[in-house]
Amino acid sequence: MSELTLEELDRDGAIQEGVAALYGDTRAAFLRNAIVGGGTLLAALASPPVLRAQTSAANDVKIFQYALNFEYLQSTFYTETERAGTVAAMEARKAVWAKTLGAHERAHVKIIRQVLGDDAGKKPFFDFQGNTESEEAFTRTAVAMEDLTTALLTGVTPALRSRGLVAAAFSLLTVEARHAAWARHLAGVVPVTGAFDEPKPVAEVDRIVASTRFISTLTPKTNVKSSPRFVG
Amino acid sequence: MTDNGSTVDGDAAASASRGAFLGRVAVAAGAAVAAGGIATALPKLAGSAPAASRDVRILNYVLRLEYLKAAFYEEAAGQGVEGELQQLAEVLAEHERAHVEFLRKRLGAEAAAPPSFDFGDAASESGRFAQTALTLEETAVAAYVGQGANVSRRLMVPFAQMTSVEARHAAWIADILERHPAPLAADEAKSPDEVRAALAELAFEVP
Repeated sequence: MSELTLEELDRDGAIQEGVAALYGDTRAAFLRNAIVGGGTLLAALASPPVLRAQTSAANDVKIFQYALNFEYLQSTFYTETERAGTVAAMEARKAVWAKTLGAHERAHVKIIRQVLGDDAGKKPFFDFQGNTESEEAFTRTAVAMEDLTTALLTGVTPALRSRGLVAAAFSLLTVEARHAAWARHLAGVVPVTGAFDEPKPVAEVDRIVASTRFISTLTPKTNVKSSPRFVG
Repeated sequence: MTDNGSTVDGDAAASASRGAFLGRVAVAAGAAVAAGGIATALPKLAGSAPAASRDVRILNYVLRLEYLKAAFYEEAAGQGVEGELQQLAEVLAEHERAHVEFLRKRLGAEAAAPPSFDFGDAASESGRFAQTALTLEETAVAAYVGQGANVSRRLMVPFAQMTSVEARHAAWIADILERHPAPLAADEAKSPDEVRAALAELAFEVP
């Protein structure tokens, strides 16, 4: 929760340096303390027993397990792209964008894992089909992922039984939408295409993710792939 | 509640006090969300106010924000702000008008009436326009995030559809201003009181 700070997410200080260069030291200091943010989300986190105390919340667990897989997908994608050197080759503003997305998605993984407790699933294995290696492919994929997460979270809100989790979904979906809009603006196009973002049902999100073949297996068997396939 | 809709009539519009805007339509649950007590506070709230009247109060609350923003961007677009800000004003005016239309349709006869605004030069001087737009969009994001869990389930999806669009607006104007477009990993909620306080920082009166 509150100990989940930028320092923890940004061990080499790369994001803070980039932010300081672009936005000034004050902003970087602000970020250092506040990047995780989200009083709403932390409020939801403060009561994880809600999830397990009520048997009727089983569906909430399933939904957040699905969301966790999605956050794993995103965070791994950004981490791998950084390791591949693709982010380092970007111009400064673009690099801050890419690094911020990585930090945020890694934070989302931690947050959702905390919410799920023992119900949190393991990270699947991913194969990003080369999309981590060029800035153009990375950007296109990142924007698609951010839009898709926004659509997913928008679509699942009414299915969540816990209002705390609904609040958490709202404070996450705006961040995903910011990521996508930010990328579009950096690319020189209008960052927002309509007055209402389109929700997507889980089944459709599933189909889209499956079509990317990014997820090697959702339930990796122990030791089958003992070393990650994506070590840069 | 008994104040349902009653603060949106001519009396409220005539009041010059900033407090009249949003103040008495304050949605109690929003405060609970922002105070970090949502998980315990919400079930109580759900028992104390019928969902339909709570929806009306929340929709009118965001409708007032949308009236403000639609009028602001329309005026800016009409007066002509500089460069990309002109495009932003035009696009945002269109979106906020669409939100107003949607909310008014949902509210029917219970929809608050549009107030009139005097933006001074905040809608015409580019620097002031940009700063005001950033405040308005960030405030709207926080207001929507604060109420998303309080609306009834049938309203959650359209509410979320507007919420994420406000977030895109905020990121756009922030990037133009060279501010961080996504400063937090999870966006903060604001209670109606906090929203009112944020709007009170603006250079013009919010009726």
